[in-house]
Amino acid sequence: MARLISQSDWATPMIVAVSLGVLISLFNPAFLSTFNIQVLLEAVSINVLIALSQMVIIAIGQMNLSVGALGGLAAVIFAGLMEVFGLPPIVAGALALGVGLAGGFLNGLLIGLTGISAFVITLATLSIFKGLNLAITQAQPFYEIPDAVKHFGNATLFGPFPIIFVPAALIVVLLVVFFNRLPVGRWLLAVGGNAHSAELSGISTAKTVVIAHAISGFLAACAGVLLVARLQLGQPTIGDDWLIMSFAAPIIGGAILAGGHVSTVATVFGVLIVAQITQALVLFHIDPFFVQVVLGLMILAAVSVNQWRELRMQRAGQE
Amino acid sequence: MSLVTSDARKPVRGPELMRLLLTNEFGLLLLIVVFGALFYSVSSGFLSSFNLNSMSRAAAINVMIGFSMMAVIATGGLSLAVGAIGVCSAMVCGWLLQEIGLPWPYALVAAIATGAALGAINGMIEVKTRLHSFIVTLATMSLFFGIMIFLTQAQTYRGIPASFVSFGRMKVMGLSATLGPTLVVAVALIVLYNFTRVGKEMLAAGAKPQAAMLSGVRVGRMIVLAHAISGGLAAIAALLLVARNGAAIPSMAGQQGQDWLLIAFLGPVLGGAVLTGGKISVVGAFLGAVLVTVLSNGLLLMQIGDFWLQATLGATLLLAVLLDLARRKFLERRAQ
Amino acid sequence: MSKIAFETRSVSKFFPGVKALQGVSMQMRGGSIHALLGENGAGKSTLIKLITGVYRPDEGQLFAGAEPVNFTRPHDAIAAGVGVVHQERNLIPRFSVAENMALSQLADRTIAPIDYAALNEQAEPWLDMLGLDVEPATQVSRLSVAQMQMVEIAKALSQQTRVLLLDEPTASLTPMESKALFDVLHRLRDDGVSMLFVSHKLEEVKEICDTVSVLRDGVNAGENIAMDNLERQDLIRLMIGREQNDAKPRHGRSGEQSVALELKDVSTSLGHKGINLEVKRHEIVGLYGLVGAGRTELAKAIMGAAAITEGEVLRDGQTVEIDNPTDALHGHRIGYVSENRKDEGLILEHSVLENAGITIWRKSANRLGWLTGASVKKRTVPFLEKLAVKTPSLNQTVGNLSGGNQQKIAMAKWLAAGVKVLIVDEPTVGIDVKSKAYLHELLHELANDGTAVLLITSDLPEMISLADRILVMDEFVIKGDVKNTGDYKTMSQSVMEHIHHTEDELRRAKAS
Repeated sequence: MARLISQSDWATPMIVAVSLGVLISLFNPAFLSTFNIQVLLEAVSINVLIALSQMVIIAIGQMNLSVGALGGLAAVIFAGLMEVFGLPPIVAGALALGVGLAGGFLNGLLIGLTGISAFVITLATLSIFKGLNLAITQAQPFYEIPDAVKHFGNATLFGPFPIIFVPAALIVVLLVVFFNRLPVGRWLLAVGGNAHSAELSGISTAKTVVIAHAISGFLAACAGVLLVARLQLGQPTIGDDWLIMSFAAPIIGGAILAGGHVSTVATVFGVLIVAQITQALVLFHIDPFFVQVVLGLMILAAVSVNQWRELRMQRAGQE
Repeated sequence: MSLVTSDARKPVRGPELMRLLLTNEFGLLLLIVVFGALFYSVSSGFLSSFNLNSMSRAAAINVMIGFSMMAVIATGGLSLAVGAIGVCSAMVCGWLLQEIGLPWPYALVAAIATGAALGAINGMIEVKTRLHSFIVTLATMSLFFGIMIFLTQAQTYRGIPASFVSFGRMKVMGLSATLGPTLVVAVALIVLYNFTRVGKEMLAAGAKPQAAMLSGVRVGRMIVLAHAISGGLAAIAALLLVARNGAAIPSMAGQQGQDWLLIAFLGPVLGGAVLTGGKISVVGAFLGAVLVTVLSNGLLLMQIGDFWLQATLGATLLLAVLLDLARRKFLERRAQ
Repeated sequence: MSKIAFETRSVSKFFPGVKALQGVSMQMRGGSIHALLGENGAGKSTLIKLITGVYRPDEGQLFAGAEPVNFTRPHDAIAAGVGVVHQERNLIPRFSVAENMALSQLADRTIAPIDYAALNEQAEPWLDMLGLDVEPATQVSRLSVAQMQMVEIAKALSQQTRVLLLDEPTASLTPMESKALFDVLHRLRDDGVSMLFVSHKLEEVKEICDTVSVLRDGVNAGENIAMDNLERQDLIRLMIGREQNDAKPRHGRSGEQSVALELKDVSTSLGHKGINLEVKRHEIVGLYGLVGAGRTELAKAIMGAAAITEGEVLRDGQTVEIDNPTDALHGHRIGYVSENRKDEGLILEHSVLENAGITIWRKSANRLGWLTGASVKKRTVPFLEKLAVKTPSLNQTVGNLSGGNQQKIAMAKWLAAGVKVLIVDEPTVGIDVKSKAYLHELLHELANDGTAVLLITSDLPEMISLADRILVMDEFVIKGDVKNTGDYKTMSQSVMEHIHHTEDELRRAKAS
């Protein structure tokens, strides 16, 4: 058992996350207050979706700059449909998620069919999605959010567990199954690990790329919709600051940017680590802007460690 | 036997002219003229002295931002941190002017040096860790911007000397004087990439690092240098913005400077730069950024709405790369 | 004799300006191991790509058994029962052994959950059959290279492969591992599998192959010959051909000259041990060896692209430390023409002038770093002309020129740089006969003018016609130093003896 844990991908991030929590609460017991844990879990619930949205693309060895723009677009569509057209939240939510799926599908299609780098394509679609967002909202938030949605976004199930934790947890479970048990999930990892070899075995790279981006778009939209519920507001600026976060958590969780190796559970712990540090800075009255500095440093440190580990593993394999 | 020199001596004017007309740069020039005419026909205000002035000022800045990215693209990398570096440099300038009271020429030099130094840090991290420039600059973007906000407490520096601000508002032959530094930099870059060892070595290192290394090029040094140049140019772009706004504002390039990203790529990519490195066009990047400026300005004038503009620019980038792909496929097929 | 399992009948493949294969025929029979031999550039890899569906033949026909087949993609070849174990690993490192073996099954399904226990069970018999003692659930990245290779063979066999291509399977194996591999191949042969064995190690080929086909310059030099009747020397003769008429020995005048480059007991980070070597001015020293002997690696270490860990390098009698190629070129005037023109020798996307000038930019620039086209042209054009480079203009992209012209440019840049020591690595692979003759003449001329040349080539006639002395390298060690008499027969024999010697020693070591 001990060996199983030490060899698993998520052991290190888990240990770091837990010890971080213990350390912070030793210095400031308020960290473990019900309210604080609730705030933490709320942040984690949404950030997990953002991180997973990027992780799916890292799995195939690409990147998606449009995660935030797509999530933001889905968010304002969700809020707008309810305010302007008075659609019931379920319908508006489904349409918003559909937009996310379609946007991701478009990304995948453009990359998979043309072979142009994902960076350039998603930079272009980032602007298109953001532009649509601003054109729809005229940079003004939608305020009229139904009470049911507000309740969904802010109420707790029991103790400190927010309701929005449920969909996030459900998606995490689904993705764990997807990447570990379903052939289509394995396609993503196979293409990321060795595209040439995957293609030789009959796995279509183009198809796999489209699937990955569609899932990424869907997850980004989920995050956007949940954020509207939590903020009780259809903010046009939703998604503007997601980029760093979306890369930080998977990388801290040990994802290899070259593709082929991601771990959903480790990414969840990555999100937890980031959220705890953010929370701690607030608790200790440290300038919140400092979070950015810490995030930047953590990304650099984590990629260096991952790369070093990968090199060591390759060398061990050769001997 | 050898045809090496015979061709150069033979004056073949027809095909030469033809080749010139088929270049990317000429295409861009044509598009600028076509769109300019189109916008003028819709709204005569397009060529009003007020609009020409504001358009040329925007172009000066956009071109410079594009150059900043182009310097890194030349070595096969990219930099997400151009905006963050630009803003950091501008804030250094603002601080030196307002808090220290340094004469403005010194403050400008210090700001540009700051930009170059921050760029060099990117380059050094990239070379030492062998990580891709994307992830390095993603992290440093957050890092640089965060430190800057932390140090300045997100305050705006308004103590910019009048002489500097008036330069930002000065007109020369109906165009903004800020085009001056941009043109100087453009010429300097043309010289750098075509007539200096360092420029040529940077391109060689970008095109094929292994081959360049075995031919005596210090590839690592070239990458650091390219990032330093990029940082310096980002600083100049931000200073032009300071001159225009009359203040150094932390949010002048949006969240962590990310608002510059699209325009930074649009210029070089429209101009025909190859993102894998080794091929760039200074004139192309210049014209590309001018085209983008004309488009933005014209669309605003036609009251398309500020908000559709960004979507249009994104679509332009998409269209540009797709057209480029189609063009290359066509040329390949013809070559066979 | 058993039935034909796979056959190529007069297949040809042309690339722009190059006839890679012409009228090549080969028959592989069930239950036998067929060797495919040939020097670098002889067309082996092109032939393998035809058989595995990567390329399509321009002429001729492939047959699987008696059926004519037309492969349009690699998948077709696999479906027809043709499997290949490539030199580069084609496994997904993070996947388990069993999952890698079943990858094409996974490609056909989408969301039906994978039953890993079933996959492991499926894989087990194949692993057992190969005697590979590895759990099917083991992640591939944890295996040794030899084990990965076995997994690839198991994967191929599990896909109903009856024709198995092995491309240099022993290149990165230890002798023990090779032996284990051969045991497996013997067993597969007894089971009726038809195998194609590509290797540069002739001893191995003699040991385990039943028949052999040899390629030379893209044509059959030997077709389906029974191995029983062949000696090692016969194989070599087939591979490198008879003595060529144009192979005039060099009459070097290097006896009295000073030593330009000397290596004393040099060991490198790449694995060379105790290398001693000297090249005098006016001298061409050949460095002969089979592929993988460590010749290119030694060249790179001399250039400063890999670290020298022990011993010393002397340039014109002075001990020098060369940290990088910049140092080698500008500090010590040593140049290196790479064997890998595409990735290391040239920048194919750049123009003729940029490529020819890259080594002299530093020299041509003035103190401010200013560099004009004219000053670069002045220093490069004479050499481009001397080498008769054919290009429509100096601004032509090098990638659009023929291989011969490309190689001339790769050479011209070092001539322009005026290096005193030139290391030339496989200078004539894949280029036309005329350019080849040109380059030979040029190397002669260079040496006569005082340049010290270290020539690396696998082409023995080329070596004999150019070199004054021949050093034989094997397994990163120099095994012998042979004076070139110019007589092809005695030279090839003595060169071969030095490599031969190595393997005899090895075998003795293994036996004891």
